[in-house]
Amino acid sequence: MVKGYLGIDVGSVSTNLVFMDETGRIKESIYLRTQGRPIATIQAGLRQLAESLPPKVTVRGVGATGSGRHLAGVITGADIVKNEITAHAVATSTLVPGVQTIIEIGGQDSKIIILRNSLVVDFAMNTVCAAGTGSFLDQQAARLGVPIEKFGEMALLARSPVRIAGRCAVFAESDMIHKQQMGYGLSDILAGLCEALVRNYLNNVGKGKEILPPVVFQGGVAANAGMKQAFEKALGCAVTVPPYYNVMGAVGAALLAREKTARGLPSGFKGFHVAQVEFVSDGFACDGCPNSCEVVEIREERRVIARWGDRCGRWSGALVERKTAI
Amino acid sequence: MVKGLCLMGSKVGIPRALLYYYYFPMWRTFFEELGAEVVVSGPSTKSVLNQGVQLAVEDACLPVKLAFGHIAGLARKVDYLFLPRLVSVASREYICPKFLGFPDMVRQTVPHLPPVIDVDVNLYRRNKYLFSAFKEAGKFFTASAARVYLAYRQGLAVLKEYQKLLEAGFMPEEAMNLLTKAAGKKRSPAAFPLSGRSSGQMILAGEEKPMVAVVGHPYNIYDSFISMNILRRLQQAGVKVITADQVPEPVVRAEAAALPKRLFWTLSQRMIGAAFYFLHAGRVQGLLHVTSFGCGPDSMTGELINRRARAAGAVPLLNLVLDEHSGEAGVFTRLEAFLDMVCFRGGKFQEA
Repeated sequence: MVKGYLGIDVGSVSTNLVFMDETGRIKESIYLRTQGRPIATIQAGLRQLAESLPPKVTVRGVGATGSGRHLAGVITGADIVKNEITAHAVATSTLVPGVQTIIEIGGQDSKIIILRNSLVVDFAMNTVCAAGTGSFLDQQAARLGVPIEKFGEMALLARSPVRIAGRCAVFAESDMIHKQQMGYGLSDILAGLCEALVRNYLNNVGKGKEILPPVVFQGGVAANAGMKQAFEKALGCAVTVPPYYNVMGAVGAALLAREKTARGLPSGFKGFHVAQVEFVSDGFACDGCPNSCEVVEIREERRVIARWGDRCGRWSGALVERKTAI
Repeated sequence: MVKGLCLMGSKVGIPRALLYYYYFPMWRTFFEELGAEVVVSGPSTKSVLNQGVQLAVEDACLPVKLAFGHIAGLARKVDYLFLPRLVSVASREYICPKFLGFPDMVRQTVPHLPPVIDVDVNLYRRNKYLFSAFKEAGKFFTASAARVYLAYRQGLAVLKEYQKLLEAGFMPEEAMNLLTKAAGKKRSPAAFPLSGRSSGQMILAGEEKPMVAVVGHPYNIYDSFISMNILRRLQQAGVKVITADQVPEPVVRAEAAALPKRLFWTLSQRMIGAAFYFLHAGRVQGLLHVTSFGCGPDSMTGELINRRARAAGAVPLLNLVLDEHSGEAGVFTRLEAFLDMVCFRGGKFQEA
């Protein structure tokens, strides 16, 4: 019988699930597009996972991470709900021992995590500006008619990458259009875009951070070989893209779940059948005070299982069954 | 300025914003001693901020915008608004220019304003000019110079007690509540059980909890709405919180003196001096620097603290920038990750 841990990372662009056995080996990993419907995507992921795993499988623990971690947590009954920085750090320091710098670029977020002796000593996340993250690359690839999977490959063909202003996605786009109208080659423009985004990343998220090798590059954008090359060029050292680079958050969540349930605690996992259960989420504005908090209510077959979004705890605190404070 | 004595019991409005967190106990005592009733605006809420954003000039910083909201809420409820024009609160130092222009900005945009008591507080040349400001303010309520002087002295005494309570580890709201309680009994130093036994070293002592220091402008970190309740959240996560305002003035000044050039921003001086102190005080395991978007002095303060923290290397630092568009999710994710980092480092990991 297979026993293991489930890790779920619900990001803005992708939702990832992994199943890790007790020895820490990844048995199954699933990468899905969230497409603005996190609940349905989590359920689809669970369904797929259940199909690919042997029928007699015991889930000993569940961990959730990503911006939709609280949602994933209440739907599956996760044992641990953790922020993505800790999840990524745990995963990478386990899979790539000795790592000192983690560059993670996802759909909306980009982060840098600095580790020394396997401990996180510093980190940063992009602020309001998401220039240079996956969704911008996606959008530009679509505009240029380049399939995103081919983006990196084409960028590697560049002979002299053009200089593109990467500080702001809006400026970058107009700069790219300008370069394209001047007649520069597509590969050179794509490679130039990669370099601009790397520059932007290092000047913003990576500003003031001590970037030491080994450097690991992960997150969905790490699939882009052009970005990896641009990082290597800018940093002057090798950059490793680890296996499971695009589901690292989920791997971290699974590892955290293993740690959490290590003392033999039973898992809160509701079972794979939650993929078939109807979950409804609904929002309302509380009229209790002038803050007018936007409260979200998650219902599992008409039963309210979680509420959040209120500052004072009037709604989230009213649920005795399962408290989920954010 | 409209002068003329008002009746006893007239209401003086003070916004719960900006340097309220530093000076309110003194202001309140002063006006109450003169027979006025002090009305404070309520805690910040979304609608207070929305109102402030509508009234304030677009490029004002978040705390100034918020203060506009507080004033708008008070304007119709009081006979006077107390908005001192803070130019300088310490010798050879300045306060941010936005404080200086604040009463004027308010006059230009906030409708239905009662008379504004906008006396100048400018201690740049001499500390004793503080009384001049109160003397002016007192003229609204009494013709007796002696009464004004006594009220001023009483205000100063309460302010001193307040600062002692902060140094003893109380947060501003707690300290103000204690003062209010004590004032209810009897207004004498003996009414404050905690005064006297406070010293900066004391707050760092005792308790096994991990300690996180929060450095930021008082109107950002103590306003639970704007700060998204950071202080409470840290406490709920099992962390002992200490803030820059709980470090005694001489310590702050001595630490800030390590800079190659003397800082002439009073608030930045406190943040930097306290941060430098926390970085080597030993007991502090994490440093949180909170700034508001668009704050000029903070962009410098932040960099100076960052560099020192990096050079020292022992205490992890997190920089949080707040603005009116801040999503809670982003702030909480960073805070959570920061606590994980702090707690892992301490060797014992506690669930945050």
